[in-house]
Amino acid sequence: MSNVATYSTNGGPYAIEAQDLSIYYGSFRAVKNINLRFPTHKITALIGPSGCGKSTVLRAFNRMNDLIPISRAEGVILFHGKNIYDHDVDPVEIRRRVGMVFQKPNPFPKTIYENVAWGARINGFKGSKTDMDALVEESLRDAAVWDDVKDKLNQSGLSLSGGQQQRLCIARAIATRPEIILMDEPASALDPISTLRIEELIQELKKNYTILIVTHNMQQAARASDYTAFFNMDADRAGYLVEYNQTDELFTSPKNEMTEQYITGRFG
Amino acid sequence: MSQPPPDQPSAAPAAPATDLTTLFPQGEGIQAQIARRQRNATIWRFVFLGATSLAVIILTTLLLSIINQSFGLVAEQTNIPETQLIVNYQKSLMLEASNVALSSEDDAALAEGIAADAAGVGLLGNAYTTQNQDTLRALSIGGVAPTAETVQSGAYPLARPLLLYTTATTVADKPQIGAFLAYYLQVADEVMAEIGYFPLDEATLAQQETTLLALLGATELPTIVPAEYEGDIVIAGSSTLNQVTREVAKRFRAEGFQGAIKITSVGTGAGFAGFCAVDGGVDIVNASRTITQLELESCRANALNPVATVVGADALAVVVNAQNDFATDITLEQAGLLFSSAVNWAEVDAGWPAEAINRYIPTTDSGTMDFFVATVFAAQTLADLPYDSLVTVFQANVSAGRCRAAEAEQRFYADRFVCDTEEAFTARCEGENPTTGCTLAPRDHASLEALVQAEVIQPEVLQAWFLAESIFRRDEIVATALEEYPSADVHFRRWLTWDFITRPQSATPELAGVRTAILGSLWVVGIGLLAGFPVGVGAAIYLEEYANKRKRFNSIIQTNINNLAGVPSIIYGLLGLTVFVRVLEPITSGAIFGVGDPTTANGRTILSAGLTLALLILPVIIISSQEAIKAVPSSLREASFGLGATRWQTIWNHVIPNAIGGILTGVILAMSRIIGETAPLVVVGAATLITSDPSGPFSKFTTLPIQIYQWTARPQQTFLLIAGAAIIVLIILLFILNIFAIYLRNRYARRIG
Ligand SMILES: Nc1ncnc2c1ncn2[C@@H]1O[C@H](COP(=O)(O)OP(=O)(O)O)[C@@H](O)[C@H]1O
Ligand SMILES: [Mg+2]
Repeated sequence: MSNVATYSTNGGPYAIEAQDLSIYYGSFRAVKNINLRFPTHKITALIGPSGCGKSTVLRAFNRMNDLIPISRAEGVILFHGKNIYDHDVDPVEIRRRVGMVFQKPNPFPKTIYENVAWGARINGFKGSKTDMDALVEESLRDAAVWDDVKDKLNQSGLSLSGGQQQRLCIARAIATRPEIILMDEPASALDPISTLRIEELIQELKKNYTILIVTHNMQQAARASDYTAFFNMDADRAGYLVEYNQTDELFTSPKNEMTEQYITGRFG
Repeated sequence: MSQPPPDQPSAAPAAPATDLTTLFPQGEGIQAQIARRQRNATIWRFVFLGATSLAVIILTTLLLSIINQSFGLVAEQTNIPETQLIVNYQKSLMLEASNVALSSEDDAALAEGIAADAAGVGLLGNAYTTQNQDTLRALSIGGVAPTAETVQSGAYPLARPLLLYTTATTVADKPQIGAFLAYYLQVADEVMAEIGYFPLDEATLAQQETTLLALLGATELPTIVPAEYEGDIVIAGSSTLNQVTREVAKRFRAEGFQGAIKITSVGTGAGFAGFCAVDGGVDIVNASRTITQLELESCRANALNPVATVVGADALAVVVNAQNDFATDITLEQAGLLFSSAVNWAEVDAGWPAEAINRYIPTTDSGTMDFFVATVFAAQTLADLPYDSLVTVFQANVSAGRCRAAEAEQRFYADRFVCDTEEAFTARCEGENPTTGCTLAPRDHASLEALVQAEVIQPEVLQAWFLAESIFRRDEIVATALEEYPSADVHFRRWLTWDFITRPQSATPELAGVRTAILGSLWVVGIGLLAGFPVGVGAAIYLEEYANKRKRFNSIIQTNINNLAGVPSIIYGLLGLTVFVRVLEPITSGAIFGVGDPTTANGRTILSAGLTLALLILPVIIISSQEAIKAVPSSLREASFGLGATRWQTIWNHVIPNAIGGILTGVILAMSRIIGETAPLVVVGAATLITSDPSGPFSKFTTLPIQIYQWTARPQQTFLLIAGAAIIVLIILLFILNIFAIYLRNRYARRIG
C-alpha cells in the first residue's frame, strides 16, 4: 500500500514522532498506520477533509484520547526516545509537557489571573506571589493578550471576547512551559481579525515551542506553517497520511494527485 | 392538530410533486394557516393558566383552612387565673414588707398617717388628696397628673371605674334597689365632683342608663320619688366608693325613703364575697374595680348573675407628704418598686435620699390594692415569680399527696424537701422501684411554671370556634357560651403563640407546645443531612467521574439507585428499625460510648432516626448531584486535563465548584422532603409523649410531623386546633430552613464559581 507517506525535512532533531499509529473508537478504526515526526521549534499544519481523523491524531500526542473510554491506540509515539503509550508512563506527565489549545475557547469560569496561574500551581510552581504575578504577566504577554486584560485580571475569564478568550487559553497553556503545543483548529470559532492575530501569535511562539496545528483552512496552513501533513479518508473510512512535506513544496508541487485535488479545492 | 390543512391534497401521492413550493399554503391560505396556529397557542395558554389558577386556589384554600383553625373564640375555664396568682403574690409581697407603717381600709386614717410622716408614701383615692392639699401631694405618673381630663381620656394609668354591682333578681325582688340605683345615677355626677372623684362623660352615662333600663324592664327612666319606697338596702364593698354611696344614701333618705340603708366599708373583695354567697345578704356591691373571673364564677355557681353600673371614675393617687421635696414624677415601674421590693427611696431613683420608705397602704381585701397590682404588674407572668413563691403556690393549691408525688417525680430543691420527707425519699430510692426524682436534677424555673400551669391554673378549653364563625357569629357564640359554660371566660384565642412554640410537649392541650418537636426535627433532619450529604455526593462523583458506565455492574447500580428513589418511605423505616435500632443498638443507643440516656437505653434515638432519613434521601441526593455533575461542560474537564491536572484536581477544582449549585438544590429538596416525614420515624420508634428537650444524638425523639399526626389522632377538639397551629409552625420552619439553605447555596456557589 502506498498509504505510508514519505516525508522530507531539513533534518535536525524531532520533538515527537508517531510510528505506525492506528487509533480505534471501539471497533471502528479512525486512523491507520500513521508515521510522522515533527521537527523541533517548527509549525506543522495537519490538513485534510472533515472527519478524516486530524483531531484524533493530534489528541494522541498528549493522550487526550484516554479520556474517551472506548478509544484505543496501537503503534508507538516516541517522545524523548520513550513510547508515551508504555504502561509505566503517566499521561499526566505527558500532558504537562505537551500542552493543548482547543477548537472552542474554554477558559475556566474563574478570574483571568487564576486561569493562567492555576495550571502552574497544580504543576508545582514554587514561586512567591511576585513570581506568580511575573509568570502570569509573561504568559499573557507571550500570548499577546496582556494589553487587553492587564486592568481586569480579577474579572472572569468568560467576560472576554472570543479572540481574547482563545489567547487567554494559549497563555494558560504556555504558563506551564510545555515543550510542544497542540492546537486543534484554534481560530475556527473566531472572526477574521482575531484569526489573523492568532496566526501572528503562533509565529511568535514557534521560537520557544514546537507547534502542531490542525486547520481546515488551506490559506492558513499555507501562510502560517513550516510543514504540512495532508490526511485523507480511505475506503474503509479510516484516516491515513497522504503526504507530508515542507509547506511551500506541498502547496506548489504536490507529489500526490489527491493532495493536488484537495489544495486546488476540487474536493474536501 | 395533526389534521392536514384543507387545501392540501389528502391522499399522499406516490411520487413527490413536481413543484414542492406549491405544497405550502398560498395567498390567503398563509394568513389562515398562521391564524390557526395562533389560535392553538391561545388555547394552550388558557389551559396552562387554568392549571395554575386551580393550583393557586387549592393552595390558598388549604392555607385559609389552616388559618381558620388556628384562631378563634374559645370558652376557657381555669381553676385559678394566672393573673390572680400574680396579684396575690405581689399583694402579699406588699403587705408583708417590713416598712409598712400602716395598712388600713380607712382612707382617712392613711391620709392622716402620711400627713404626719415626711418619709411616708401611700395609695389613696384621689379624693383624699384633693381634700388635703396642704398636707398631701399626688405624684404624676409618666408625666401625667391625675386630673378630670387625663382620667377621662385614659392617659392617667391608675384611673379606674367606680361601679355598683347588683343582680336582676335582686332588683326584681326588691323594688327599692332599682329605685336607689336610678336615683344614684341621677345624682352621681354632682356627688362625685363634690367629693373629689371624676364624673362620667355623657356617652358613658347614657350607656349606664340603658343598662339600668334593661335591668328595670322599663323603657324610660322614671322620676324617682324615694318616699314611695320602703324596705332595707344592704351595701358593702370598697372604701373608695363608700363616701359617695353614703352621700347618695343621705340624700335618698332626706327625700323621704322609708327603709334602712346599711353601708359597710370592707373592701371590694369582701363585698363580692358577701354578695355572691348564698345567704350573703348584700344587695349592692360598692366596687372600685371590675369583678374578677373567680368572683364571677362563684356568683354564677349560686345562680347569681352580677350586672355592673358605672357611676364614676377614680384616680388612684400615689401620695407623699407635702414636705417631700424630691419626688414629683415616677414611672409605673418605679411605682411598683416603691410599694414592693425597695426599702429606701434611693433604690427607686438614684437621685433620691437613702431614707427608709414608710408605706401607707390598704388591706388585702381592698379593690385599690387589686387594681394597683393588676395595673403595675400587668405584664408579669408566672415566669416573673421567684422559684420559692411558685413552690409555695403549688403546695398551697394541690393536695399533700399530689405534692409528694410531684416531688418524687422531680425534686424542688436539692437540699430540702417541701412535701416529702428525707426518710421516705431515701427509703424509696434505695428500694425496688426508685422514682425518677432519685436521679434527676431538681426542677428548674420553667418546668415548675409548667407544673403550676398544669395543676394549679388548670386551663381547660371547653369549646372552641373557628375563625370564620368567631368573626361572623360572635354575639351568638358569646351568648350561648355564657349560658352553657357559666364559669368559663369567653375570649379570642390565638393557638399559634410564641408560648406555643417555646413550650415543651404536654398532655394538656391548652399547655402543650412544640419546642420538643421543633428541636427533635432540627436534630433529626440535621443528622440526616450530615450523613446523607457526603455519602450521596461522594457516590454521585464516583458514578459520574470514575465509574465506567459501559460496565454492566455500574449500570445495575445506577438502575437500582433510580428505583430506590421511588420506594415508599415506610420501607426505609423498616430498614432503619432492623439495622440502626436493633443490630447497631450498642452504637445508636450510645451505650458503647457510655453516654446513653439511662431512661431509654435502647436504639430508638435521634441518631437512628437521622440515619434512617439519611438512607431515605440518599437516592435523591445522588441523582440530583449526578445531574448537576453531568451539566458541567466537558470542555472544562478537557481544559483541566490538558494542563496536566489529575482527575482529582479536575474534580475538586472544576467539577464540584461548577456543580455545587445544582448539588445543593438537590440537598434543599431532600431536606424539604424529610422534614415532613412521619411514617419511617414512627416505625423507627418516635416517642409518644416526651416533655424534655433532646440533649444529643442519643436522646429519645419526636418531630413536628409526628406530633401533628399524634395530635390529630386524639378525640378532643383542642388537640385538633393545636395540630393546626403546629402545621403552621412546620410550614414556617420549612420556610426558614429553605431560605437559609438557599442563601448558603447562593453565597457558596458564587464564592467558588
Ligand atoms: N469520541 C468519539 N467516539 C467515536 N467516534 C469518534 C469520536 N471522535 C471522533 N470519532 C470519529 O473518528 C473519526 C475522526 O474524527 P475526528 O478526528 O474528529 O476528525 P477531524 O478532526 O479530522 O474532523 C470520525 O469518523 C468521527 O466520527
Ligand atoms: Mg476536528
